Amino acid sequence: MSEQQPFEPKIVAYVCNWCTYLGADLAGTNRLEYPANVRIIRLPCTGRIDFNLIIKAFEMGADAVLVSGCHPGDCHYTAGNFHARRRWILFRQLLETMGIDTRRVHFSWISAAEGKKFQQFVTEITETARALGPYQAYREICQAE
Amino acid sequence: MSRIGIFICWCGENIARNVDVERAAAEVADLPGVVCSVAYKYMCSDPGQSLMRQKIVSERLTGVVVASCSPHMHLRTFRKAAAMAGLNPYLVEMANIREHCSWVHHDRQQATTKAVELIRMSVAKVRANAALQPISIPITRRALVIGGGVAGIQAALDIADSGREVVLVEREPSIGGKMAGLSETFPTLDCSQCILTPRMVDVGQHPNIRLYTYSEVEGVEGYVGNFKVTVRKKARYVDMDACTGCGQCWNACPSKKNLSEFDYQMGNRTAIYVPFPQAVPARPVIDRDACLHFLKGKCGICAKKCAANAVKFDDQDEVITEEVGAIVVATGFKLYSIDRDQASSKLAGYGEYGYGQYPDVVDALQFERIVSASGPTGGEIRRPSDGQQPKSVVFISCVGSRDNAKGISYCSKICCMYTAKHTMLYKHKVHDGQAHVFYMDIRSGGKNYDEFVRRAIEQDGAHYHRGRVSKITQENGKLIVRGVDTLVGEPLTIEADLVVLASAMQPAGGATELAQKLNVGYDEFGFLSESHPKLRPVETNAAGVFVCGACQGPKDIPESVAQASAAAGKVLVMFSNEQLSREPEVARINETNCAACFACVRACPYNAIERAEVRDRKGQLVKRTARVNPGLCMGCGTCVAICPSKSADLEGFTEQQVYAMVESLV
Amino acid sequence: MQNELRQTCRRLLEEGTVQVVIGYGDGTDGQTFPTFVTRRDDVERLVWNERCYTNLATYLTRPEILALGKAAICVKACDERALVVLEKESQIDRSQLVVIGLACSTDGVKQPKCEACENRTPRWANVTIGDAAGETAKTTADRYAALQAFMQKTPDERMAYWKTELARCVKCYACRQVCPLCYCRQCIADKNRPVVISTSATLKGSFAWQITRAFHLGGRCIGCDECTRVCPAGIDLRLLNLSLARAAEENFNFRAGVDVEAEPIVGAYSERDREEFIR
Ligand SMILES: Cc1cc2nc3c(=O)[nH]c(=O)nc-3n(C[C@H](O)[C@H](O)[C@H](O)COP(=O)(O)OP(=O)(O)OC[C@H]3O[C@@H](n4cnc5c(N)ncnc54)[C@H](O)[C@@H]3O)c2cc1C
Ligand code: SF4
Ligand code: SF4
Ligand code: SF4
Ligand code: SF4
Ligand code: SF4
Repeated sequence: MSEQQPFEPKIVAYVCNWCTYLGADLAGTNRLEYPANVRIIRLPCTGRIDFNLIIKAFEMGADAVLVSGCHPGDCHYTAGNFHARRRWILFRQLLETMGIDTRRVHFSWISAAEGKKFQQFVTEITETARALGPYQAYREICQAE
Repeated sequence: MSRIGIFICWCGENIARNVDVERAAAEVADLPGVVCSVAYKYMCSDPGQSLMRQKIVSERLTGVVVASCSPHMHLRTFRKAAAMAGLNPYLVEMANIREHCSWVHHDRQQATTKAVELIRMSVAKVRANAALQPISIPITRRALVIGGGVAGIQAALDIADSGREVVLVEREPSIGGKMAGLSETFPTLDCSQCILTPRMVDVGQHPNIRLYTYSEVEGVEGYVGNFKVTVRKKARYVDMDACTGCGQCWNACPSKKNLSEFDYQMGNRTAIYVPFPQAVPARPVIDRDACLHFLKGKCGICAKKCAANAVKFDDQDEVITEEVGAIVVATGFKLYSIDRDQASSKLAGYGEYGYGQYPDVVDALQFERIVSASGPTGGEIRRPSDGQQPKSVVFISCVGSRDNAKGISYCSKICCMYTAKHTMLYKHKVHDGQAHVFYMDIRSGGKNYDEFVRRAIEQDGAHYHRGRVSKITQENGKLIVRGVDTLVGEPLTIEADLVVLASAMQPAGGATELAQKLNVGYDEFGFLSESHPKLRPVETNAAGVFVCGACQGPKDIPESVAQASAAAGKVLVMFSNEQLSREPEVARINETNCAACFACVRACPYNAIERAEVRDRKGQLVKRTARVNPGLCMGCGTCVAICPSKSADLEGFTEQQVYAMVESLV
Repeated sequence: MQNELRQTCRRLLEEGTVQVVIGYGDGTDGQTFPTFVTRRDDVERLVWNERCYTNLATYLTRPEILALGKAAICVKACDERALVVLEKESQIDRSQLVVIGLACSTDGVKQPKCEACENRTPRWANVTIGDAAGETAKTTADRYAALQAFMQKTPDERMAYWKTELARCVKCYACRQVCPLCYCRQCIADKNRPVVISTSATLKGSFAWQITRAFHLGGRCIGCDECTRVCPAGIDLRLLNLSLARAAEENFNFRAGVDVEAEPIVGAYSERDREEFIR
């Protein structure tokens, strides 16, 4: 990346197949524009999304990670998102203790009808990541011998 | 070595406008394992699909990535096409470069870069894909229907008429449910028994229906297609096969003053009895608590009178096992008990209405019996206390319903209609009587429903007062009903001879216990939960278990019947094949590595994982392990995330596939 | 106390109630060692002193120990919590185990964790040996004091701290080996298809490893601090364990291994779990 180009954060989004993925589809159908930084990885359910994937994304140079699924009560598999939520509560605490930047780890509920919310949220976290700059600390961890 | 073909769709201008598809095709052509990369105008069109099929054959492809629209749009299409060309459909993946790219990013440079990365991810994934075979599960093509109300009857008949066997379990001595005790039914005012009893007889005589009355489901094992159900047939003390239903016994029985359940405690029956004359089966049962033989050890008159020798005082409960492939739950409802079982429930009750204290305050089902030709008064409207004809009757709707303070927030849906019906039936029989109705709103949506209510008011002259009743007291043989008419804005007191409470509909007793046995969810009120309120209204989250009728929520007869036929339809769809074919994208467990901590067993929303044991040839326990039942797994992957050692994995979204995707994002 | 312990174990072996006693024996360098006594005459090797800090529960899931037959195990009140978790996780069958509780006298075992010790007498044992000074009133704050102090640092300082500390991790997996609850047959750290945790002893691998280890013990770690004690690099793993223990207590009112009745929080959920951090 040359010096003059503005910093473009890399964002990995783990989303569930039935709500947020469809929300993103709806954003597309409605032609709601948002920054092109996010890479969506489709999984069946937030219940499937393991914390190791968040760490992996940082190892691969992500500047922010988004995990998103169905609103409570709307899970396609009834309870996968409840299990996920409980894990996130614990995981965020661990991130805090480790000093990993929680402003770079985002969780949301975005339904299949919330194309607008998807657009807005992705725009917002891209802006945040842009303002925070590259996640230098984790890159250093990955580069250290 | 994988041989992957990439097919990039222009989607006319939809993708090509913002993504340089030709450049993308060139950039991904060199990815490891990729042997061909082409762009085409419309991949989903016939020529597009045949291009893909040709390449699969000519390039001997082992994997395909279609970069086009959302997989929700066309993944199935492309998988089918691949299968036609001889490639396992699960070796096809898509990259969503339309909804997630060209439609939302207008900078051609950025959009193209992103498209290339999305394709790269999909290529990385497909390299780790495995050829999957649809899972097939053998099914026992017999159904169990639990509950013999109108819903259960309908479901059982529909299934049986199609040639499949049905086991119908009803816990009362006769089928029929609430409808058997109703007088006439809205909105047509046809006689309830006249339309129901022929259906009951059909059930009793149907060669494909095995009927267990006075029986309950005790345990359920197994899973969709393969349930093992244990049914407890309670001791009836009458040999069902020998008995001819002649009635000698109950006519002779000296224990006559026992409150009739069927008449809601307003009439009497004998100790050996059939609940009502049209009962199916028309075989009596002995009420142990009323029978002099059991109470005093002497009597046995029924046994002496019985020419068929059918009375068996030594009868025992019998436990029967039935194998079925599908289960329909139709356990119906009960009425909010107002004061009777408040102790055992968290509901507040309606002590202020004096139910149970004043004999002339009755609930709506009791009133149905009072107007019914087969009821304790022979269809003449007489009040319970003194048998007088009531000249002024107050009907109170929403008793319990829509009342958060009393613990029930929902609308019971049918009370507005049957209350209107009650006023009409009353007026038709007591021409000089006056019906009053206290109501909150009138909810009469439905074909000919509002017209029906209007008729009650306009033709039959019922007085409708919008407001609630605060208290009922008894003075000089009259019931003093105090309330307000909020439209007039004034307190209103009516002297009534009879008060009828339209109390809330609640799930039948024992419904939640049954739901637990079946692994079916239920709401805070105990109504069973359907799988999806709109798209899967009669399915439940327990595969192979269906719901219909009032056990799922308040309903009238037409709705209960419609739902019952829908449930039967679902069962028959299932039974239309010998095997049940399910998507192979399910979890599997590496039994060697599994530590048998059973966290996954606890977490699985579908109870699809069981605790299993691995034994050697001598039967020695080698290890314990979790094991997924592919017949139940829905593929959510919750078990994968919960398993610390990743001994659980999910086909179609394996760890290998997902990590390959992330790792492609360098 | 030591004599009473030996007598009890002799009896258990003699009567054939158990085939092996898992206890402490004296080592040469003033340390104690896990000792497995299978013959009644060897009970003299068993000791009980202030150096018995090892949590022996970790041996209950080892195949080579299981092969010896029905076991009796010596536990202190702190170790005992591991048994509760192990039973909830179907790793041990309580009816097939004799638990010998050792009460810590005030001059008993001295480890950093003893500072926050709440009860010195095992509650779940079949036989309890010795007399403890009783319960010591400890508050939630006492329990998490070390963590509380650490969290005074800014996030950047914490990150810097872990970078320095974890740089010393040699990936020896002693922390895993000693942990009574790291009983997996194949640890995720040893998985190679895919590699979830980079296997090299680089900082990247050590971060991933400790995040994973700590998280896998979230809502399960009983705070025996064995992992911290054995770490050759002297990394204070306790801070990570404590942070999840506190999160479990604050959010789910749950403390691993304390309440025999309480259901595990892993693999469970409540519809009312908090979610103010979710958008
Ligand atoms: C006062 C009143 C008047 C009404 N009037 C009308 C009307 O005019 N028109 C109209 O369309 N609707 C009317 N309804 C509604 C109608 O009664 C219901 O829609 C209908 O009865 C629902 O049928 P069901 O089969 O779902 O339930 P139910 O009739 O309750 O039948 C359920 C059956 O399941 C059995 N059962 C319960 N639990 C178990 C178990 N665990 N194991 C085995 N068996 C079990 C019960 O014994 C019962 O036989 C009225 C309702 C009331 C309360
Ligand atoms: S969570 Fe993993 S280790 Fe535990 S029982 Fe399930 S598959 Fe086995
Ligand atoms: S994938 Fe979901 S449904 Fe299937 S076994 Fe795992 S947790 Fe249960
Ligand atoms: S770190 Fe996790 S996967 Fe490894 S042994 Fe411990 S609990 Fe099991
Ligand atoms: S993680 Fe450490 S403190 Fe916690 S139980 Fe394991 S060894 Fe003990
Ligand atoms: S014991 Fe210490 S050095 Fe060894 S793996 Fe654990 S943290 Fe690293």
